[in-house]
Amino acid sequence: MTITGALTVLWFALAPFLWPIAVGVVLLVAVQGLAHLRGYRILGYRCLAANLAAIAVGLSGLWWIPLFTHSRLAYVASVFDWIALVGALIGLTAVTWLLLHPLSYLLQGKSPRYA
Amino acid sequence: MSRHDSDSSRLNRRQFLKYGAGASAAGLLYATGLQARTLSTNARVVILGGGAGGMAMANRLSRRLDGARISLVEPREVHHYQPGWTLVASGVWHPEKTMRPNAHFVPKGVDWVRQPAAGIDAANRQVELGDGSLLDYDYLIVATGLQLNYHLIDGMSPELVGSHGIGSVYASIEGAARTRNAIDAWIAQGSGKGIFTAAPTPVKCAGAPLKMTFTTLSRLEASGRRDAFQMEFIAPGLGLFTQPYINDFVKQRFDAQGVTRRHQYRLSAIDPQAREVEFTFVGPDSEFTSHHQLRESEFSREGERRVVTDYDFIHVVPPMSAPDFIKASNLIAQDGPFRGEWLDVDIHTMQHNRYPEVFGIGDVIGAPINKTAASVKAQAPVVEANLLAQMQGQALPRRHNGYTSCPMITGIGKAMLVEFGYDDNFAFLPSFSFIDPKDESWVAWVMKDRMLQPAYYAVLEGQA
Repeated sequence: MTITGALTVLWFALAPFLWPIAVGVVLLVAVQGLAHLRGYRILGYRCLAANLAAIAVGLSGLWWIPLFTHSRLAYVASVFDWIALVGALIGLTAVTWLLLHPLSYLLQGKSPRYA
Repeated sequence: MSRHDSDSSRLNRRQFLKYGAGASAAGLLYATGLQARTLSTNARVVILGGGAGGMAMANRLSRRLDGARISLVEPREVHHYQPGWTLVASGVWHPEKTMRPNAHFVPKGVDWVRQPAAGIDAANRQVELGDGSLLDYDYLIVATGLQLNYHLIDGMSPELVGSHGIGSVYASIEGAARTRNAIDAWIAQGSGKGIFTAAPTPVKCAGAPLKMTFTTLSRLEASGRRDAFQMEFIAPGLGLFTQPYINDFVKQRFDAQGVTRRHQYRLSAIDPQAREVEFTFVGPDSEFTSHHQLRESEFSREGERRVVTDYDFIHVVPPMSAPDFIKASNLIAQDGPFRGEWLDVDIHTMQHNRYPEVFGIGDVIGAPINKTAASVKAQAPVVEANLLAQMQGQALPRRHNGYTSCPMITGIGKAMLVEFGYDDNFAFLPSFSFIDPKDESWVAWVMKDRMLQPAYYAVLEGQA
């Protein structure tokens, strides 16, 4: 399959989910922007709870991502299966962290651990 | 009237997404230098059938032909994503997921004739419509799909699907849903014998009978009472699948999972009330070829060995052929393995072997494999390029390599992405080097469950 063909199919696959994706992006940008306006810096603020929560959400994908695709973890078998699943888990963890980390800053205010 | 004849002063969400897709694809084509030139012509082009092949050609030709009068003959208002029917019959998808209005796909400028075709006079280049009127053409694309011949099984009709323990994923979307219900009822029964059949003719989605067996096995195993159920697969030929590696794999997997295989029997009769079926021995005198060559007269041959057995659930796969009005026309194959049953085209150029202004695409053509939506994806650009060359009196530039694809579901949640073509004894033609067609994988299942339907709609709109 050509790159053009793959991108076209990807576009058709994502098209029905554009609104949820757009809402998610707006939410992420809003939380990040608001936190930055109040002094949040991504590398300067530490929050163990947000880190652990992001990891927990990411790991939860081991259960619900296969389930979401009408499958189960036992069927994640080939090398590429694991590359795809681990990639999805890392992405899920990263997005969750990018949301929860500034959110915790907004909820807690300036933390004692803020450097 | 096409969808663009209606009030188009406002863009609805669907149109927004479609135009977005079109703009994106156009941008990609421009960036890669693949943008095709249009051809000015006043030719009358008739496309018979608005399924995957017909709709893809309508969209492609409406962009490539400037001034042509294109007619799409399709009576149905609803477009069915048939590759999803196995998932419906397996209880994975809801039926609604497979349906879209045809109006979403018919392109601007194409005359949508909402009637069935009733006949073709190839000598006079005319199509007879259901109301008796005639449609003249200069070029004809036959994309009618095929005909399900349930009547060739004594006692069987598509209306029986869903009752008396009878399932058949091919019958219709309603039939697929009723097949799911019949399997549900059988599993709830707690024990019994299930028979899965194959047809003695070429069939669309030749993997579907195997997929239904595998998904039913998954459901029986999930019930915790697998050992209480008998499973049999009965095939008219010695093989179960065209691609040799997959054929061996499926046989071994059936054996390992306790599915009893019987070869060289075809389903010849059914008694729904008694829940009995009759199978007729096939061969060695009437051994099918790799094309499952079969003449209708062979269905009533005297003196054949017959086996009558009972069942609690049976999955019926009907014999298939080109539609009757194609069989009655000059366009039908007149010799070779597809004679009398399938459209007579060159399987590489897709051009009719005797009428050069006629092309075929999709299930209706006489080809050893290729009755899948994936085949249409590969055939559509070939038909487009070769039809335009024919219009200009040029040599046909493109050849179809027989590419077809079957996401072979080996259980609910796993599959093998099987892609192959005509050459080298149906050698694999993988689209993605990182997905091994010999491996069962979750990713292949995800592609079946999530990605192939969008890919299908991209094909319909001529974008892929």
